[in-house]
Amino acid sequence: MDTRKPFSKEMILLENIEEAVSRITGKLQQDILINFKRNGAVIGISGGIDSSVCMALSVKAFGADKVVGIIMPEKDSSPDSEELALELAGKFGIRTIKEVITGALDGFGCYSRRDEAVKRVFPEYDPGTYKMKIGIRQSGLYNNLPPLFTLSIIDEKGIQQDKMLHAREYLQIVAASNFKQRSRMSILYYHAEALHYAVVGTPNKHEQEQGFFVKHGDGAGDVMPIGNLYKTQVYQLAEHLGVPHRIIERTPTTDTYSAAQTQEEFFYQLPFRLMDIFWYGFENGYTAKEVASVMGDTEERVDALFRNFERKRKTTEYLRMPPVRDYFGI
Amino acid sequence: MSTDAVAIKGKVKDYIQQATFVDRDKIRDDSLIFKEGYFDSMGFVVLITYLEENFGIKTTDSDLVEENFESINAITDFVIRKNGN
Repeated sequence: MDTRKPFSKEMILLENIEEAVSRITGKLQQDILINFKRNGAVIGISGGIDSSVCMALSVKAFGADKVVGIIMPEKDSSPDSEELALELAGKFGIRTIKEVITGALDGFGCYSRRDEAVKRVFPEYDPGTYKMKIGIRQSGLYNNLPPLFTLSIIDEKGIQQDKMLHAREYLQIVAASNFKQRSRMSILYYHAEALHYAVVGTPNKHEQEQGFFVKHGDGAGDVMPIGNLYKTQVYQLAEHLGVPHRIIERTPTTDTYSAAQTQEEFFYQLPFRLMDIFWYGFENGYTAKEVASVMGDTEERVDALFRNFERKRKTTEYLRMPPVRDYFGI
Repeated sequence: MSTDAVAIKGKVKDYIQQATFVDRDKIRDDSLIFKEGYFDSMGFVVLITYLEENFGIKTTDSDLVEENFESINAITDFVIRKNGN
Protein backbone atom coordinates (compact mmCIF):
# COMPACT_ATOMS: atom_id res chain seq x y z
CA MET A 1 0.00 0.00 0.00
CA ASP A 2 1.28 3.46 -0.88
CA THR A 3 1.59 5.35 2.41
CA ARG A 4 3.02 8.52 0.89
CA LYS A 5 1.11 11.76 1.21
CA PRO A 6 -0.33 13.03 -2.07
CA PHE A 7 2.11 15.44 -3.71
CA SER A 8 1.54 19.12 -2.93
CA LYS A 9 3.41 22.41 -3.17
CA GLU A 10 3.31 22.84 0.61
CA MET A 11 5.10 19.59 1.44
CA ILE A 12 8.41 21.34 1.28
CA LEU A 13 7.67 23.81 4.07
CA LEU A 14 9.13 23.24 7.52
CA GLU A 15 6.13 22.75 9.79
CA ASN A 16 7.89 23.41 13.06
CA ILE A 17 10.68 25.94 12.49
CA GLU A 18 11.57 26.20 16.16
CA GLU A 19 12.18 22.46 16.30
CA ALA A 20 14.29 22.55 13.11
CA VAL A 21 16.46 25.33 14.59
CA SER A 22 16.83 23.44 17.84
CA ARG A 23 17.90 20.23 16.05
CA ILE A 24 20.41 22.04 13.84
CA THR A 25 21.96 24.03 16.68
CA GLY A 26 22.08 20.94 18.91
CA LYS A 27 23.97 19.05 16.22
CA LEU A 28 26.29 22.01 15.62
CA GLN A 29 27.20 21.97 19.32
CA GLN A 30 27.68 18.20 19.28
CA ASP A 31 29.84 18.22 16.14
CA ILE A 32 31.99 21.28 16.76
CA LEU A 33 32.36 21.39 20.53
CA ILE A 34 32.25 17.70 21.44
CA ASN A 35 33.32 15.73 18.35
CA PHE A 36 35.83 18.17 16.84
CA LYS A 37 36.81 19.74 20.18
CA ARG A 38 36.82 23.20 18.62
CA ASN A 39 35.68 26.25 20.57
CA GLY A 40 33.54 28.18 18.10
CA ALA A 41 32.75 28.93 14.47
CA VAL A 42 34.29 30.90 11.63
CA ILE A 43 32.00 31.77 8.69
CA GLY A 44 32.56 33.64 5.48
CA ILE A 45 29.73 36.16 5.28
CA SER A 46 28.83 37.57 1.88
CA GLY A 47 25.54 39.33 2.55
CA GLY A 48 23.76 36.40 0.89
CA ILE A 49 20.92 34.43 2.41
CA ASP A 50 22.81 31.15 2.93
CA SER A 51 25.80 32.50 4.82
CA SER A 52 23.49 34.78 6.84
CA VAL A 53 21.37 31.87 8.01
CA CYS A 54 24.45 29.79 8.82
CA MET A 55 25.81 32.67 10.86
CA ALA A 56 22.53 33.16 12.72
CA LEU A 57 22.35 29.41 13.49
CA SER A 58 25.94 29.48 14.74
CA VAL A 59 25.20 32.41 17.05
CA LYS A 60 22.27 30.44 18.48
CA ALA A 61 24.48 27.39 18.95
CA PHE A 62 27.62 28.99 20.40
CA GLY A 63 26.76 32.58 21.37
CA ALA A 64 27.86 35.73 19.52
CA ASP A 65 31.25 35.83 21.25
CA LYS A 66 32.19 32.43 19.78
CA VAL A 67 31.36 33.27 16.17
CA VAL A 68 33.58 35.27 13.81
CA GLY A 69 32.35 36.50 10.42
CA ILE A 70 34.98 36.91 7.74
CA ILE A 71 34.24 39.36 4.92
CA MET A 72 36.40 38.64 1.88
CA PRO A 73 35.82 41.09 -0.97
CA GLU A 74 37.92 41.28 -4.12
CA LYS A 75 37.94 43.76 -6.95
CA ASP A 76 34.98 42.16 -8.81
CA SER A 77 32.77 41.92 -5.71
CA SER A 78 29.57 43.92 -5.50
CA PRO A 79 29.90 46.67 -2.83
CA ASP A 80 26.46 45.58 -1.53
CA SER A 81 27.96 42.32 -0.29
CA GLU A 82 30.20 43.95 2.31
CA GLU A 83 27.57 46.46 3.39
CA LEU A 84 24.97 43.74 3.96
CA ALA A 85 27.46 41.46 5.71
CA LEU A 86 28.26 44.30 8.14
CA GLU A 87 24.57 44.97 8.74
CA LEU A 88 24.06 41.28 9.52
CA ALA A 89 27.06 41.11 11.84
CA GLY A 90 25.90 44.26 13.64
CA LYS A 91 22.44 42.85 14.19
CA PHE A 92 23.75 39.58 15.66
CA GLY A 93 26.61 41.21 17.57
CA ILE A 94 29.46 39.12 16.16
CA ARG A 95 33.02 40.19 15.51
CA THR A 96 33.99 40.61 11.85
CA ILE A 97 37.34 40.55 10.12
CA LYS A 98 37.75 41.99 6.64
CA GLU A 99 40.24 40.28 4.37
CA VAL A 100 40.60 41.81 0.92
CA ILE A 101 41.74 38.93 -1.29
CA THR A 102 42.51 40.93 -4.46
CA GLY A 103 46.27 40.79 -3.78
CA ALA A 104 46.22 37.03 -3.21
CA LEU A 105 44.22 36.56 -6.39
CA ASP A 106 46.67 38.73 -8.31
CA GLY A 107 49.46 36.56 -6.97
CA PHE A 108 47.75 33.41 -8.18
CA GLY A 109 47.20 35.00 -11.58
CA CYS A 110 43.44 34.65 -11.19
CA TYR A 111 42.59 37.78 -13.15
CA SER A 112 45.39 37.54 -15.74
CA ARG A 113 44.70 33.87 -16.53
CA ARG A 114 40.97 34.59 -16.82
CA ASP A 115 41.45 37.69 -18.96
CA GLU A 116 43.89 35.92 -21.27
CA ALA A 117 41.16 33.36 -22.07
CA VAL A 118 38.51 36.09 -22.46
CA LYS A 119 40.77 37.93 -24.94
CA ARG A 120 41.08 34.80 -27.08
CA VAL A 121 37.31 35.00 -27.57
CA PHE A 122 37.01 38.81 -27.68
CA PRO A 123 40.38 40.39 -28.69
CA GLU A 124 38.99 43.87 -27.89
CA TYR A 125 38.28 42.91 -24.23
CA ASP A 126 40.00 45.20 -21.74
CA PRO A 127 39.28 44.40 -18.08
CA GLY A 128 39.62 48.12 -17.25
CA THR A 129 36.70 49.12 -19.44
CA TYR A 130 34.67 45.95 -19.95
CA LYS A 131 32.82 43.72 -17.51
CA MET A 132 32.45 39.99 -18.22
CA LYS A 133 30.38 37.00 -17.20
CA ILE A 134 29.57 33.46 -18.25
CA GLY A 135 25.96 32.45 -18.92
CA ILE A 136 24.04 29.46 -20.18
CA ARG A 137 23.60 29.42 -23.94
CA GLN A 138 20.37 27.47 -24.28
CA SER A 139 17.85 26.14 -21.84
CA GLY A 140 18.71 22.50 -21.32
CA LEU A 141 16.07 22.01 -18.66
CA TYR A 142 13.47 20.33 -20.78
CA ASN A 143 15.61 18.25 -23.10
CA ASN A 144 18.42 15.76 -22.71
CA LEU A 145 21.20 18.05 -23.87
CA PRO A 146 23.44 19.53 -21.18
CA PRO A 147 23.85 23.31 -21.35
CA LEU A 148 26.55 25.09 -23.32
CA PHE A 149 28.05 28.32 -22.09
CA THR A 150 28.21 31.85 -23.44
CA LEU A 151 30.83 34.42 -22.64
CA SER A 152 29.45 37.95 -22.43
CA ILE A 153 31.42 41.19 -22.30
CA ILE A 154 29.75 44.50 -21.54
CA ASP A 155 31.33 47.85 -22.41
CA GLU A 156 31.05 51.13 -20.52
CA LYS A 157 27.94 52.10 -22.48
CA GLY A 158 26.26 48.87 -21.41
CA ILE A 159 26.48 47.27 -24.84
CA GLN A 160 26.73 43.51 -24.47
CA GLN A 161 28.32 41.03 -26.86
CA ASP A 162 27.87 37.27 -26.48
CA LYS A 163 29.81 34.37 -27.97
CA MET A 164 29.70 30.65 -27.39
CA LEU A 165 32.54 29.43 -25.22
CA HIS A 166 34.63 26.58 -26.49
CA ALA A 167 36.12 24.02 -24.14
CA ARG A 168 39.61 25.48 -23.77
CA GLU A 169 38.46 29.00 -22.91
CA TYR A 170 35.57 27.84 -20.73
CA LEU A 171 37.82 25.61 -18.66
CA GLN A 172 40.48 28.29 -18.27
CA ILE A 173 38.01 31.00 -17.20
CA VAL A 174 36.32 28.69 -14.67
CA ALA A 175 39.62 27.32 -13.34
CA ALA A 176 41.01 30.86 -12.91
CA SER A 177 37.81 32.15 -11.28
CA ASN A 178 37.82 29.23 -8.86
CA PHE A 179 40.88 30.77 -7.20
CA LYS A 180 38.36 33.13 -5.60
CA GLN A 181 36.44 30.46 -3.71
CA ARG A 182 39.60 28.51 -2.85
CA SER A 183 41.41 31.61 -1.58
CA ARG A 184 38.43 32.43 0.60
CA MET A 185 38.45 28.93 2.05
CA SER A 186 42.20 29.26 2.81
CA ILE A 187 41.54 32.48 4.73
CA LEU A 188 38.67 30.86 6.63
CA TYR A 189 40.91 27.98 7.71
CA TYR A 190 43.64 30.42 8.73
CA HIS A 191 41.27 32.14 11.15
CA ALA A 192 39.65 28.90 12.28
CA GLU A 193 43.02 27.34 13.13
CA ALA A 194 44.33 30.53 14.77
CA LEU A 195 41.28 30.58 17.06
CA HIS A 196 40.89 26.80 17.39
CA TYR A 197 37.43 27.16 15.85
CA ALA A 198 35.74 25.16 13.05
CA VAL A 199 34.77 26.40 9.58
CA VAL A 200 31.05 26.49 8.92
CA GLY A 201 30.36 25.74 5.25
CA THR A 202 27.35 27.50 3.75
CA PRO A 203 26.09 25.48 0.74
CA ASN A 204 22.39 24.61 0.62
CA LYS A 205 20.86 21.39 -0.69
CA HIS A 206 20.67 22.49 -4.36
CA GLU A 207 24.24 23.68 -4.44
CA GLN A 208 25.36 20.39 -2.94
CA GLU A 209 23.27 18.04 -5.05
CA GLN A 210 23.50 19.88 -8.35
CA GLY A 211 27.20 20.59 -7.96
CA PHE A 212 26.97 24.38 -7.85
CA PHE A 213 30.11 24.86 -5.78
CA VAL A 214 33.87 24.80 -6.15
CA LYS A 215 35.53 21.63 -4.92
CA HIS A 216 37.82 22.52 -2.00
CA GLY A 217 36.49 26.08 -2.29
CA ASP A 218 33.01 27.04 -1.12
CA GLY A 219 32.25 23.30 -1.14
CA ALA A 220 34.63 22.80 1.80
CA GLY A 221 34.17 23.34 5.54
CA ASP A 222 33.86 21.23 8.68
CA VAL A 223 30.05 21.32 8.96
CA MET A 224 27.26 22.36 6.59
CA PRO A 225 24.21 23.19 8.70
CA ILE A 226 21.93 23.98 5.74
CA GLY A 227 23.44 21.40 3.36
CA ASN A 228 20.27 19.34 3.45
CA LEU A 229 17.77 22.22 3.30
CA TYR A 230 15.87 23.52 0.32
CA LYS A 231 16.18 27.22 -0.43
CA THR A 232 12.52 27.74 0.56
CA GLN A 233 13.36 26.28 3.98
CA VAL A 234 16.47 28.46 4.25
CA TYR A 235 14.22 31.50 3.74
CA GLN A 236 11.85 30.19 6.42
CA LEU A 237 14.78 29.96 8.82
CA ALA A 238 16.00 33.42 7.82
CA GLU A 239 12.65 34.98 8.74
CA HIS A 240 12.50 33.06 12.00
CA LEU A 241 16.06 33.90 13.02
CA GLY A 242 15.69 37.61 12.23
CA VAL A 243 18.04 37.93 9.25
CA PRO A 244 17.74 41.54 7.94
CA HIS A 245 15.04 41.95 5.31
CA ARG A 246 17.43 43.58 2.85
CA ILE A 247 19.27 40.25 2.73
CA ILE A 248 16.09 38.17 2.51
CA GLU A 249 14.79 40.28 -0.37
CA ARG A 250 18.06 40.33 -2.32
CA THR A 251 18.21 38.22 -5.50
CA PRO A 252 20.84 35.47 -5.07
CA THR A 253 23.87 36.29 -7.23
CA THR A 254 27.09 34.49 -8.07
CA ASP A 255 29.23 37.57 -7.22
CA THR A 256 32.09 35.90 -9.08
CA TYR A 257 32.41 37.72 -12.41
CA SER A 258 32.81 41.46 -12.91
CA ALA A 259 29.34 41.77 -14.54
CA ALA A 260 26.29 41.24 -12.33
CA GLN A 261 24.72 37.82 -12.65
CA THR A 262 21.95 35.95 -10.84
CA GLN A 263 22.34 32.31 -9.81
CA GLU A 264 19.25 31.48 -11.85
CA GLU A 265 20.82 32.98 -14.98
CA PHE A 266 24.14 31.23 -14.47
CA PHE A 267 23.10 27.82 -13.28
CA TYR A 268 19.63 26.87 -12.14
CA GLN A 269 17.53 28.20 -15.04
CA LEU A 270 14.42 28.03 -12.85
CA PRO A 271 13.23 30.24 -9.96
CA PHE A 272 14.25 28.58 -6.68
CA ARG A 273 10.67 28.23 -5.40
CA LEU A 274 9.78 26.09 -8.42
CA MET A 275 13.12 24.29 -8.43
CA ASP A 276 12.54 23.30 -4.79
CA ILE A 277 9.14 21.75 -5.40
CA PHE A 278 10.18 19.87 -8.54
CA TRP A 279 13.34 18.60 -6.84
CA TYR A 280 11.34 17.49 -3.80
CA GLY A 281 9.05 15.46 -6.05
CA PHE A 282 12.03 14.02 -7.92
CA GLU A 283 14.01 12.91 -4.90
CA ASN A 284 11.03 11.58 -3.01
CA GLY A 285 9.96 9.28 -5.81
CA TYR A 286 6.82 11.08 -6.98
CA THR A 287 6.03 10.38 -10.63
CA ALA A 288 6.21 13.05 -13.30
CA LYS A 289 2.45 12.65 -13.69
CA GLU A 290 1.76 13.33 -9.98
CA VAL A 291 4.02 16.38 -9.94
CA ALA A 292 2.79 17.73 -13.29
CA SER A 293 -0.84 17.73 -12.21
CA VAL A 294 -0.05 19.77 -9.07
CA MET A 295 2.32 22.17 -10.85
CA GLY A 296 0.05 22.76 -13.83
CA ASP A 297 2.70 21.45 -16.20
CA THR A 298 2.77 18.58 -18.68
CA GLU A 299 3.95 15.11 -17.73
CA GLU A 300 6.39 15.16 -20.63
CA ARG A 301 8.08 18.37 -19.46
CA VAL A 302 8.32 17.23 -15.83
CA ASP A 303 9.72 13.90 -16.99
CA ALA A 304 12.39 15.78 -18.98
CA LEU A 305 13.10 17.94 -15.93
CA PHE A 306 13.58 14.85 -13.75
CA ARG A 307 16.00 13.38 -16.29
CA ASN A 308 17.88 16.68 -16.23
CA PHE A 309 18.08 16.54 -12.40
CA GLU A 310 19.30 12.95 -12.55
CA ARG A 311 21.97 13.87 -15.08
CA LYS A 312 23.13 16.84 -13.00
CA ARG A 313 23.39 14.71 -9.87
CA LYS A 314 25.26 11.97 -11.69
CA THR A 315 27.68 14.18 -13.58
CA THR A 316 28.61 16.24 -10.50
CA GLU A 317 29.31 13.22 -8.28
CA TYR A 318 33.04 13.86 -8.70
CA LEU A 319 32.70 17.22 -6.95
CA ARG A 320 31.17 15.66 -3.85
CA MET A 321 33.63 12.78 -3.56
CA PRO A 322 36.40 12.87 -0.98
CA PRO A 323 39.82 11.77 -2.30
CA VAL A 324 39.73 8.07 -3.14
CA ARG A 325 42.22 6.16 -1.02
CA ASP A 326 41.16 2.53 -1.10
CA TYR A 327 43.83 1.49 -3.61
CA PHE A 328 45.90 -0.90 -1.58
CA GLY A 329 46.40 -1.68 2.06
CA ILE A 330 46.76 -4.59 4.40
CA MET B 1 24.90 6.32 -47.72
CA SER B 2 27.56 8.36 -49.55
CA THR B 3 31.28 7.85 -49.02
CA ASP B 4 31.36 11.19 -47.23
CA ALA B 5 28.64 10.12 -44.81
CA VAL B 6 30.41 6.84 -44.05
CA ALA B 7 33.66 8.69 -43.38
CA ILE B 8 31.96 11.28 -41.15
CA LYS B 9 30.12 8.61 -39.18
CA GLY B 10 33.36 6.66 -38.69
CA LYS B 11 35.16 9.73 -37.35
CA VAL B 12 32.28 10.67 -35.06
CA LYS B 13 32.14 7.10 -33.73
CA ASP B 14 35.88 7.02 -33.11
CA TYR B 15 35.69 10.34 -31.32
CA ILE B 16 32.79 9.30 -29.09
CA GLN B 17 34.45 6.05 -28.17
CA GLN B 18 37.72 7.77 -27.34
CA ALA B 19 35.99 10.56 -25.39
CA THR B 20 33.67 8.34 -23.33
CA PHE B 21 35.83 5.24 -22.76
CA VAL B 22 32.80 3.12 -23.69
CA ASP B 23 33.34 -0.01 -25.83
CA ARG B 24 32.67 0.60 -29.51
CA ASP B 25 30.16 -2.31 -29.55
CA LYS B 26 28.11 -0.76 -26.75
CA ILE B 27 27.32 2.50 -28.53
CA ARG B 28 25.08 1.81 -31.51
CA ASP B 29 24.54 4.38 -34.26
CA ASP B 30 21.12 5.15 -32.80
CA SER B 31 22.08 5.00 -29.08
CA LEU B 32 20.88 8.14 -27.29
CA ILE B 33 24.28 9.30 -26.13
CA PHE B 34 23.04 12.11 -23.86
CA LYS B 35 19.94 10.41 -22.52
CA GLU B 36 22.02 7.37 -21.61
CA GLY B 37 24.57 9.58 -19.87
CA TYR B 38 27.67 8.94 -22.01
CA PHE B 39 28.30 12.67 -22.19
CA ASP B 40 28.07 15.33 -19.49
CA SER B 41 28.05 19.10 -19.95
CA MET B 42 31.78 19.34 -20.58
CA GLY B 43 31.56 16.38 -22.94
CA PHE B 44 29.02 18.31 -25.00
CA VAL B 45 31.19 21.45 -25.10
CA VAL B 46 34.17 19.38 -26.26
CA LEU B 47 32.04 17.51 -28.83
CA ILE B 48 30.93 20.82 -30.39
CA THR B 49 34.54 22.01 -30.50
CA TYR B 50 35.58 18.70 -32.11
CA LEU B 51 32.88 18.95 -34.79
CA GLU B 52 33.71 22.58 -35.57
CA GLU B 53 37.44 21.98 -35.76
CA ASN B 54 37.30 18.71 -37.69
CA PHE B 55 34.42 19.27 -40.09
CA GLY B 56 34.70 23.02 -40.63
CA ILE B 57 31.18 23.76 -39.42
CA LYS B 58 29.91 26.59 -37.22
CA THR B 59 27.08 25.89 -34.78
CA THR B 60 24.49 28.54 -34.07
CA ASP B 61 21.99 28.78 -31.19
CA SER B 62 19.23 27.29 -33.33
CA ASP B 63 21.40 24.20 -33.96
CA LEU B 64 21.53 23.35 -30.26
CA VAL B 65 18.56 21.01 -30.21
CA GLU B 66 18.40 17.38 -29.23
CA GLU B 67 17.54 16.18 -32.74
CA ASN B 68 20.99 17.29 -33.98
CA PHE B 69 23.07 15.61 -31.28
CA GLU B 70 21.12 12.77 -29.70
CA SER B 71 22.97 9.92 -31.49
CA ILE B 72 25.82 9.15 -33.87
CA ASN B 73 23.28 9.06 -36.72
CA ALA B 74 21.89 12.48 -35.72
CA ILE B 75 25.36 14.04 -35.45
CA THR B 76 26.38 12.62 -38.84
CA ASP B 77 23.23 14.02 -40.48
CA PHE B 78 23.82 17.36 -38.77
CA VAL B 79 27.42 17.63 -40.02
CA ILE B 80 26.34 16.68 -43.55
CA ARG B 81 23.53 19.25 -43.49
CA LYS B 82 25.81 22.00 -42.18
CA ASN B 83 28.35 21.26 -44.89
CA GLY B 84 25.62 21.42 -47.50
CA ASN B 85 26.48 17.94 -48.74
